[in-house]
Amino acid sequence: MRLKNTTQLIIVAIAVTILSLLYFFYPAAQYSFYPRCIFHSLTGLDCPGCGSQRAASALLHGRLLTAINYNLLFVVVLPIVVAAAFVFCWNIFSHKKLQQRLLYQPLFVKTLLWVVLLFWVLRNVPVAPFTWLKA
Amino acid sequence: MQDPTIPQPSGQAFPPKNWLVESILVTLFCCLPFGIAGIIFASQVNTKWAANDVNGAMQASRDAAKWTKIGFFVGIGVIVLYFIAVFALGFGGLWMSSRSLNQ
Repeated sequence: MRLKNTTQLIIVAIAVTILSLLYFFYPAAQYSFYPRCIFHSLTGLDCPGCGSQRAASALLHGRLLTAINYNLLFVVVLPIVVAAAFVFCWNIFSHKKLQQRLLYQPLFVKTLLWVVLLFWVLRNVPVAPFTWLKA
Repeated sequence: MQDPTIPQPSGQAFPPKNWLVESILVTLFCCLPFGIAGIIFASQVNTKWAANDVNGAMQASRDAAKWTKIGFFVGIGVIVLYFIAVFALGFGGLWMSSRSLNQ
Protein backbone atom coordinates (compact mmCIF):
# COMPACT_ATOMS: atom_id res chain seq x y z
CA MET A 1 0.00 0.00 0.00
CA ARG A 2 2.77 2.36 0.97
CA LEU A 3 4.79 1.51 -2.14
CA LYS A 4 1.70 2.06 -4.29
CA ASN A 5 1.07 5.44 -2.67
CA THR A 6 4.71 6.46 -3.13
CA THR A 7 4.57 5.53 -6.82
CA GLN A 8 1.37 7.53 -7.21
CA LEU A 9 2.96 10.48 -5.44
CA ILE A 10 6.01 10.43 -7.75
CA ILE A 11 3.85 10.26 -10.90
CA VAL A 12 1.58 13.08 -9.70
CA ALA A 13 4.56 15.21 -8.60
CA ILE A 14 6.23 14.85 -12.03
CA ALA A 15 2.96 15.65 -13.83
CA VAL A 16 2.29 18.71 -11.64
CA THR A 17 5.86 19.99 -12.16
CA ILE A 18 5.71 19.61 -15.96
CA LEU A 19 2.26 21.22 -16.16
CA SER A 20 3.30 24.08 -13.85
CA LEU A 21 6.35 24.84 -16.01
CA LEU A 22 4.19 24.65 -19.16
CA TYR A 23 1.51 26.99 -17.78
CA PHE A 24 4.16 29.32 -16.34
CA PHE A 25 6.20 29.79 -19.52
CA TYR A 26 3.29 29.48 -21.95
CA PRO A 27 0.31 31.21 -20.24
CA ALA A 28 -2.99 29.78 -21.47
CA ALA A 29 -4.39 33.29 -22.09
CA GLN A 30 -1.71 33.99 -24.73
CA TYR A 31 -1.13 30.63 -26.38
CA SER A 32 -3.86 28.91 -28.34
CA PHE A 33 -2.47 25.37 -28.50
CA TYR A 34 -4.15 24.33 -25.23
CA PRO A 35 -7.19 22.05 -25.49
CA ARG A 36 -10.51 23.87 -25.38
CA CYS A 37 -13.56 22.91 -23.39
CA ILE A 38 -15.92 20.76 -25.51
CA PHE A 39 -18.96 22.05 -23.66
CA HIS A 40 -17.96 25.64 -24.40
CA SER A 41 -17.13 24.87 -28.04
CA LEU A 42 -20.50 23.19 -28.58
CA THR A 43 -22.82 25.47 -26.61
CA GLY A 44 -20.95 28.76 -26.23
CA LEU A 45 -21.72 28.52 -22.51
CA ASP A 46 -19.18 28.19 -19.71
CA CYS A 47 -18.84 24.95 -17.74
CA PRO A 48 -17.66 24.99 -14.09
CA GLY A 49 -14.10 24.32 -15.27
CA CYS A 50 -13.90 26.90 -18.06
CA GLY A 51 -11.05 29.33 -17.49
CA SER A 52 -9.16 27.06 -15.09
CA GLN A 53 -6.15 26.74 -17.43
CA ARG A 54 -5.91 30.55 -17.68
CA ALA A 55 -6.51 30.83 -13.92
CA ALA A 56 -3.69 28.35 -13.23
CA SER A 57 -1.31 30.35 -15.47
CA ALA A 58 -2.28 33.59 -13.69
CA LEU A 59 -1.81 32.03 -10.24
CA LEU A 60 1.67 30.76 -11.20
CA HIS A 61 2.55 34.38 -11.94
CA GLY A 62 1.08 35.47 -8.59
CA ARG A 63 -1.88 37.30 -10.13
CA LEU A 64 -4.64 36.23 -7.77
CA LEU A 65 -7.30 38.70 -8.95
CA THR A 66 -6.77 37.77 -12.60
CA ALA A 67 -7.11 34.10 -11.63
CA ILE A 68 -10.35 34.82 -9.74
CA ASN A 69 -11.61 36.67 -12.78
CA TYR A 70 -11.03 33.60 -14.98
CA ASN A 71 -12.45 31.01 -12.61
CA LEU A 72 -13.52 31.80 -9.05
CA LEU A 73 -14.35 28.17 -8.26
CA PHE A 74 -10.83 27.00 -9.21
CA VAL A 75 -9.22 29.49 -6.83
CA VAL A 76 -11.65 28.63 -4.00
CA VAL A 77 -11.22 24.86 -4.41
CA LEU A 78 -7.42 24.88 -4.84
CA PRO A 79 -6.61 25.21 -1.09
CA ILE A 80 -8.78 22.12 -0.42
CA VAL A 81 -6.85 20.15 -3.05
CA VAL A 82 -3.50 21.36 -1.67
CA ALA A 83 -4.54 20.41 1.89
CA ALA A 84 -5.63 16.94 0.70
CA ALA A 85 -2.32 16.48 -1.13
CA PHE A 86 -0.45 17.50 2.03
CA VAL A 87 -2.32 14.92 4.17
CA PHE A 88 -1.66 12.27 1.47
CA CYS A 89 2.10 12.99 1.57
CA TRP A 90 2.13 13.18 5.36
CA ASN A 91 0.49 9.74 5.63
CA ILE A 92 3.14 8.18 3.39
CA PHE A 93 6.08 9.45 5.40
CA SER A 94 4.73 9.58 8.96
CA HIS A 95 3.58 6.79 11.27
CA LYS A 96 1.01 9.05 12.89
CA LYS A 97 -1.75 8.97 10.29
CA LEU A 98 -3.92 12.01 9.67
CA GLN A 99 -7.55 11.66 8.64
CA GLN A 100 -9.14 13.93 6.03
CA ARG A 101 -11.99 14.92 8.32
CA LEU A 102 -13.41 17.77 6.26
CA LEU A 103 -13.58 15.72 3.05
CA TYR A 104 -15.61 13.06 4.84
CA GLN A 105 -18.23 15.42 6.31
CA PRO A 106 -21.56 14.70 4.58
CA LEU A 107 -22.58 18.36 4.78
CA PHE A 108 -19.30 19.59 3.27
CA VAL A 109 -19.58 17.45 0.14
CA LYS A 110 -23.27 18.31 -0.34
CA THR A 111 -22.48 22.02 -0.02
CA LEU A 112 -19.63 21.66 -2.50
CA LEU A 113 -21.89 19.89 -5.00
CA TRP A 114 -24.45 22.71 -4.81
CA VAL A 115 -21.71 25.33 -5.07
CA VAL A 116 -20.41 23.70 -8.29
CA LEU A 117 -23.91 23.47 -9.81
CA LEU A 118 -24.84 27.01 -8.76
CA PHE A 119 -21.56 28.35 -10.14
CA TRP A 120 -22.24 26.58 -13.44
CA VAL A 121 -25.67 28.26 -13.76
CA LEU A 122 -24.78 31.70 -12.41
CA ARG A 123 -21.68 32.23 -14.55
CA ASN A 124 -23.87 31.87 -17.64
CA VAL A 125 -26.40 34.50 -16.55
CA PRO A 126 -25.74 37.45 -18.87
CA VAL A 127 -26.68 40.12 -16.29
CA ALA A 128 -24.34 42.53 -14.50
CA PRO A 129 -23.09 40.95 -11.25
CA PHE A 130 -22.90 37.44 -12.73
CA THR A 131 -20.99 38.38 -15.87
CA TRP A 132 -18.02 38.80 -13.53
CA LEU A 133 -18.05 35.02 -13.01
CA LYS A 134 -17.57 34.36 -16.73
CA ALA A 135 -14.30 32.74 -17.81
CA MET B 1 -30.22 1.39 11.53
CA GLN B 2 -27.39 -0.53 13.21
CA ASP B 3 -26.59 -0.25 16.87
CA PRO B 4 -23.44 1.91 16.93
CA THR B 5 -22.09 -0.05 19.93
CA ILE B 6 -21.86 -3.22 17.79
CA PRO B 7 -18.45 -3.33 16.07
CA GLN B 8 -18.82 -2.79 12.36
CA PRO B 9 -18.19 -5.71 9.98
CA SER B 10 -14.61 -6.17 8.82
CA GLY B 11 -13.59 -3.94 11.72
CA GLN B 12 -13.26 -0.85 9.53
CA ALA B 13 -12.46 2.28 11.47
CA PHE B 14 -12.19 4.65 8.54
CA PRO B 15 -14.70 5.40 5.79
CA PRO B 16 -13.82 4.05 2.32
CA LYS B 17 -12.09 6.46 -0.03
CA ASN B 18 -14.66 8.91 -1.37
CA TRP B 19 -12.65 10.20 -4.38
CA LEU B 20 -13.81 13.75 -3.68
CA VAL B 21 -10.60 15.58 -4.58
CA GLU B 22 -10.16 13.50 -7.73
CA SER B 23 -13.76 14.21 -8.79
CA ILE B 24 -13.27 17.94 -8.22
CA LEU B 25 -10.13 17.92 -10.37
CA VAL B 26 -11.93 16.00 -13.13
CA THR B 27 -14.79 18.53 -12.98
CA LEU B 28 -12.42 21.49 -13.23
CA PHE B 29 -9.94 20.19 -15.80
CA CYS B 30 -11.80 17.72 -17.97
CA CYS B 31 -14.98 19.77 -18.34
CA LEU B 32 -17.18 16.71 -18.11
CA PRO B 33 -20.30 15.74 -16.19
CA PHE B 34 -18.48 12.61 -14.98
CA GLY B 35 -16.75 14.71 -12.33
CA ILE B 36 -20.12 15.84 -11.01
CA ALA B 37 -21.29 12.20 -10.92
CA GLY B 38 -18.13 11.49 -8.89
CA ILE B 39 -18.97 14.27 -6.42
CA ILE B 40 -22.52 12.89 -6.04
CA PHE B 41 -21.14 9.43 -5.17
CA ALA B 42 -18.52 11.01 -2.85
CA SER B 43 -21.41 12.63 -1.02
CA GLN B 44 -23.15 9.23 -0.77
CA VAL B 45 -20.00 7.61 0.68
CA ASN B 46 -20.07 10.13 3.52
CA THR B 47 -23.81 10.03 4.14
CA LYS B 48 -23.96 6.22 4.15
CA TRP B 49 -20.88 5.91 6.34
CA ALA B 50 -22.38 8.39 8.81
CA ALA B 51 -25.55 6.26 8.84
CA ASN B 52 -23.47 3.11 9.64
CA ASP B 53 -24.31 1.64 6.22
CA VAL B 54 -20.85 0.17 5.63
CA ASN B 55 -21.76 -1.86 2.53
CA GLY B 56 -23.60 1.07 0.98
CA ALA B 57 -20.61 3.31 1.61
CA MET B 58 -18.27 0.76 -0.01
CA GLN B 59 -20.55 0.50 -3.05
CA ALA B 60 -20.74 4.30 -3.34
CA SER B 61 -16.95 4.41 -3.05
CA ARG B 62 -16.61 1.95 -5.96
CA ASP B 63 -19.08 4.00 -8.04
CA ALA B 64 -17.22 7.22 -7.24
CA ALA B 65 -13.95 5.57 -8.30
CA LYS B 66 -15.55 4.30 -11.51
CA TRP B 67 -16.99 7.65 -12.63
CA THR B 68 -13.92 9.62 -11.62
CA LYS B 69 -11.69 7.26 -13.63
CA ILE B 70 -14.06 7.30 -16.64
CA GLY B 71 -14.03 11.11 -16.49
CA PHE B 72 -10.25 11.19 -16.22
CA PHE B 73 -9.58 8.85 -19.14
CA VAL B 74 -12.29 10.34 -21.36
CA GLY B 75 -10.74 13.74 -20.61
CA ILE B 76 -7.25 12.49 -21.53
CA GLY B 77 -8.70 10.84 -24.66
CA VAL B 78 -10.41 14.05 -25.75
CA ILE B 79 -7.20 16.05 -25.23
CA VAL B 80 -5.22 13.52 -27.30
CA LEU B 81 -7.87 13.57 -30.06
CA TYR B 82 -7.81 17.36 -29.94
CA PHE B 83 -4.07 17.46 -30.53
CA ILE B 84 -4.29 14.84 -33.28
CA ALA B 85 -6.98 16.96 -34.97
CA VAL B 86 -4.92 20.14 -34.59
CA PHE B 87 -1.80 18.50 -36.01
CA ALA B 88 -3.74 16.86 -38.85
CA LEU B 89 -5.37 20.17 -39.80
CA GLY B 90 -2.09 22.03 -39.33
CA PHE B 91 -0.10 19.67 -41.55
CA GLY B 92 -3.02 19.40 -43.96
CA GLY B 93 -3.07 23.18 -44.26
CA LEU B 94 0.69 23.31 -44.74
CA TRP B 95 0.52 20.65 -47.43
CA MET B 96 -2.31 22.45 -49.22
CA SER B 97 -0.51 25.78 -49.13
CA SER B 98 2.74 24.25 -50.38
CA ARG B 99 0.84 22.59 -53.20
CA SER B 100 -0.86 25.81 -54.22
CA LEU B 101 2.47 27.57 -54.11
CA ASN B 102 4.01 24.99 -56.41
CA GLN B 103 1.23 25.19 -58.95
